[in-house]
Amino acid sequence: MKEIENKKASQIRQIWGLVRKSTFIKLGVSIMILFGIMAVFSPIWININPEIYDPIIGVDPNVHGSVGPSLKHPLGTDDIGKDLFSQLLRGSQVAFMLGMMVSVFSTIIGAAIGLIAGYYGKIWDTLLMRLADIILTLPRLPLLIVISGIFGTQSNWIILLILSLTFWPIISRVIRAQTLSLRERPFIESAKVSGVSNTRIIVKHLAPNVLPIAFYYLTVTVTGAILVEAGLSFLGFGDPSNMSWGMMLQWCFVKGYVFKAPYWMIPPGLCISLLAFSFYLIGVGLEEMVNPRLKKR
Amino acid sequence: MGKYIIGRIIQIIITFFIVMSIIFLLFRIIPSDPSSFLLTPSMTAEAKETIRKQFGLDEPIAVQYFVYLKNFVHGNFGTSFYSGRPVMSIIMERMLNSILLITTAVIIAYIIGVSIGKAIAWKRGSKTEKFFVILGLWFYTTFTPWLGIMFLWIFSFKLKLFPLGGMITPEKWILDPSLMEKICDMGYHLILPLVTYVLLWFGGYMLLMRNSMLETLKEDYIVTARAKGLKEKVIKNKHAARNAMLPIVTAFAISISFSIGGAVLIETIFSWPGIGRTIVEATLRQDYPLVQGAFAVITVVVLLANFVADIAYAYLDPRISY
Repeated sequence: MKEIENKKASQIRQIWGLVRKSTFIKLGVSIMILFGIMAVFSPIWININPEIYDPIIGVDPNVHGSVGPSLKHPLGTDDIGKDLFSQLLRGSQVAFMLGMMVSVFSTIIGAAIGLIAGYYGKIWDTLLMRLADIILTLPRLPLLIVISGIFGTQSNWIILLILSLTFWPIISRVIRAQTLSLRERPFIESAKVSGVSNTRIIVKHLAPNVLPIAFYYLTVTVTGAILVEAGLSFLGFGDPSNMSWGMMLQWCFVKGYVFKAPYWMIPPGLCISLLAFSFYLIGVGLEEMVNPRLKKR
Repeated sequence: MGKYIIGRIIQIIITFFIVMSIIFLLFRIIPSDPSSFLLTPSMTAEAKETIRKQFGLDEPIAVQYFVYLKNFVHGNFGTSFYSGRPVMSIIMERMLNSILLITTAVIIAYIIGVSIGKAIAWKRGSKTEKFFVILGLWFYTTFTPWLGIMFLWIFSFKLKLFPLGGMITPEKWILDPSLMEKICDMGYHLILPLVTYVLLWFGGYMLLMRNSMLETLKEDYIVTARAKGLKEKVIKNKHAARNAMLPIVTAFAISISFSIGGAVLIETIFSWPGIGRTIVEATLRQDYPLVQGAFAVITVVVLLANFVADIAYAYLDPRISY
């Protein structure tokens, strides 16, 4: 028993060693932490003066029109006097929450479908992968726009659902490929022969082996989700009852302040790009760690 | 090979039918009047009657489905609520505009990306490699509208070097200029959206080429080539790069699908009259015939692009036999 524990511990230490060496992961995580701090700071900032600083309904009665940065409003205000800094902080909360939830959702669905399709094969494989292919070939943003137009995007849960709809197929394809190759391995055959049930094989034996690649997609899907949500909000298909970076840009664009108010236009877009970038960096770092073919000679 | 092509064509037709059927169903779930996807109060009674007959709106849903398919094959998508023009003619114009922008951008991004990717794979582990990888990744994950707006702000608004959007300068075209002048005018408007596009996409191709090269470089035939005493440059171009190109070819056509999605944002920012912007405007205006038609056409284009990619790949890779 002790041997197995020691082996696991040294495996973890090995992985941690690789993680520490990767420039990509270090850079990505640092940026991510910055935004994490922003997200956590959001309610604290609002509490200073909820009437002015609430990102949805807070308005500064002393301000008319959009003004530039000041002590009271670190990033200035929008055209009706709402504080831009609060909006930015709230945006980082939304970006994290939505990004991660979409990612977790899509990865769980994608992995499950991939494992089932890969393991059981035949009719399940054909049906599930056909479905995945259809969703994969359709361009993401137009598809989401059309769905939004038909069903509306009144709540964050709907947004979460339709976004996940477009991210699971690629994950399922990749995991199915891995499952197909793992399926033929001796340890699976011996499990089958010993009478282990199919479900147990998938859960206890196959799933842990597809974990690395699932983790990679977990990371890069956050990037995709953040960018797609921002894109949808920017075009006007976001949830109007909430404030996200994409919506900040939309308001700026729609109210005609893109060139007049750089303090309004620059921060949200920059944040979207940076946060998406950070997650992708982590993904690239992970990929380098896991993919032996790319290792330096 | 012939069998493979026929097989793929059948696949595509099936996929297309499924997508079309889903669109058909989706549009009839619209909460209000089921026929509101084709009719609108502002139409005259005669126009409504014509559409009713053309699309069989009084018939049971099964009949409607077949009428819908028949109309679709003839390219009849109804009339746009907003402009009253037939949907198909609007789409055809806009599609050409998008193709102009997207194709040019993808080709340039491809050339730049692949060249850089090839060069940095050769310099594995160097600072140059890290620099370009991070640069490419940064632009890859930059928020498209933001990048576009920044360019517009700096180069069009502040420096007044480029137009603020659109595809042409109407004032110039009314004067009926020569073809050369027309092309120059369009080119002038094309530059900023093109640069935005290329910056966004070159990283993707660059990383693909780099990874592909790195894998190829581990192959035995590279070791053989070195042992034969071939010059490094020859190995790089004739042996490694040529084989690394295979996945890139597939990626090229598949990226058409992504490009159309990205086109939505770029066309909106730069007011480029393309199919992406059309879908956004049409959806916001609840111009359902136009939305349906535009989405159908986009699907066709994407399926065709994938088909071409598959055939090209099968043709280029001598290891695959049918």
